[in-house]
Amino acid sequence: MKPQHDLDYEALVKEDRVHISLYTDPTVFSDEMDKIFHRGWVYVGHQGEVPQPGDFRLKRIGLQPVIMVRDQAGTVQLLLNRCRHRGATVCQEKQGNTRSFRCMYHGWTYQTDGALSGVPGMDAYGDEFQREDLSLAKVPRVASYRGFIFGSLSPAGITLEEHLGRAAAELDLFVGLSEAEDVEVVSGTHQYSYQANWKLAAENSMDGYHPMITHASFGQALMDKIQNSPSPEQRREDRDFASFRGATIDMGNGHVMLDYKMRIYDSLNGDPTPAVRAMTPEGQAHLEELTRRFGHQRAANMLREGGTHTFIFPNLILIGIQMRVLQPLRADYTEVCLYPTLLKWLAPEVNTIRLRSHEAFFGSASFGGPDDSEIFERIQDGCAVQLEPWQLLSRGLHRQRHENGMILGEMADEVTQRGIWRQWKKVMTQGTGVARTTRQRTGNGVARKRG
Amino acid sequence: MAFDRQQVEQFLYHEADLMDEHRYDEWLALWADDALYWVPTGRDDINPAREISLIYDDHVRLQVRIARLKSGFAHAQEPKSRMRRLVSNILLTEEANGEITASSNFLLAELRRGKQDIFAGRTIHRLRPQNDSFKLVSKKVLLVNNNEPIDNLTFLI
Ligand code: FES
Ligand SMILES: [Fe+2]
Repeated sequence: MKPQHDLDYEALVKEDRVHISLYTDPTVFSDEMDKIFHRGWVYVGHQGEVPQPGDFRLKRIGLQPVIMVRDQAGTVQLLLNRCRHRGATVCQEKQGNTRSFRCMYHGWTYQTDGALSGVPGMDAYGDEFQREDLSLAKVPRVASYRGFIFGSLSPAGITLEEHLGRAAAELDLFVGLSEAEDVEVVSGTHQYSYQANWKLAAENSMDGYHPMITHASFGQALMDKIQNSPSPEQRREDRDFASFRGATIDMGNGHVMLDYKMRIYDSLNGDPTPAVRAMTPEGQAHLEELTRRFGHQRAANMLREGGTHTFIFPNLILIGIQMRVLQPLRADYTEVCLYPTLLKWLAPEVNTIRLRSHEAFFGSASFGGPDDSEIFERIQDGCAVQLEPWQLLSRGLHRQRHENGMILGEMADEVTQRGIWRQWKKVMTQGTGVARTTRQRTGNGVARKRG
Repeated sequence: MAFDRQQVEQFLYHEADLMDEHRYDEWLALWADDALYWVPTGRDDINPAREISLIYDDHVRLQVRIARLKSGFAHAQEPKSRMRRLVSNILLTEEANGEITASSNFLLAELRRGKQDIFAGRTIHRLRPQNDSFKLVSKKVLLVNNNEPIDNLTFLI
């Protein structure tokens, strides 16, 4: 569905500010769904969520319900959840394992690869009725990188590799403590919602300016031993868990990151040595295993640098051990799903520590995330103020530097928010480089358009 | 039975009041040192070693939870939720070690930012008799909506 009037995004998105209507206007929202989510590459899920044939998860691409299912041959399929007869959804459970999907209106049955295999009363149809033409619709383009599965509802456009660009290296880092097939996504999800626009969570996830204030209560809690097995020797008095060290990086195409230069297993401790977790027996075992696999120097760097802290435009966030997926549903309502990951080769106790650490900061009952959501709702309320209707994005604009095609800034600079909005504006004004008609399908023309 | 049913009920009602009224320190004082405060997510029976929960607090983390709520900077509880809950359908079992397992249902009305939410579920308390009362050894809360998005569960449940 296209909006009936043309919005002047050039005027509404400036380099140093954006107009608040972009968070509130339902017309803008449906335009975003159309141009960003229903045409471009969107993250759908990870292969580790559906390890066995028949495993499925209900997802969405934009507003459209999609079944991510590993078919009997072992291929992960993205099927639109809508019966080809008269349109009922064929899958009702959020996740599970099945041999087929049966529509409970008239009983049409689909295999896990989408093929229509059963139609009660076939004899009522004429010769022109071909079961082969009535498979569940498939997401036109599906591509995977290191186990991360993306879909595009447009049949043509740039490749996933072109879309990811430099951000692919951050996906490498996410699985970098392991091989892709070693990432287990079987630990459940934290699901939460907030009454505000989806872009607020995108911007906030890459905001190095807010933790000291928004998460002040966590900082205080942190000063007392929040970790499961705190090591008194390592307790620090300064609250630099959200220190201003590190960098903000705009990698292009809307992909941005915070480079905290901190460790994954002790993100609560600013000490630069990698040995903190190794103070516990479990941590020691982990470090030894890393060292055995990768050598001492690389193991130390892995623990020190930790996981990545990256936003992949438009809906995937990778933080430490966590994949986070944004699900816009209305201009002022968003759902978020967090997937903590395990690594197959880690000692069970270390995997458990990953989960307990995750619970401290993330989820609806945690000590971190809900305070962010509270701020999103305060911003959405604030958008009702019509005077001076701008949000500022100018921090560090005068001092950002360009290196190797990327833009770098200090930790609390708004390089990342500007990077997200630059891509947003590009897609909303020019399209994703995705052809509206197949005649534009040639790879070169599309790539050139992306520039 | 070695325990008085009414005493257990009084304990549960008292705990509910402490939660509703944000009487954090009094609530924390109910707990034994080997506490486990557990709210699973996804489904009721998960393996906490391999799956995440909404809450899986030992006593250290309980202290942190309370310290945070009292800090004045727990924005998701500024302003605080206004709450009242009913506790009912109480079933009691005496365990071999003398502790008591109390299963009960709750229905909670929670109001914040002009929005009233209903939470419901089953709670399984494990109580250790001590002096005239009990210490709360563990508490597992099986939320009806534990496999749905929840916007804010930063109050005591
Ligand atoms: S709508 Fe699915 S079988 Fe008729
Ligand atoms: Fe935050």
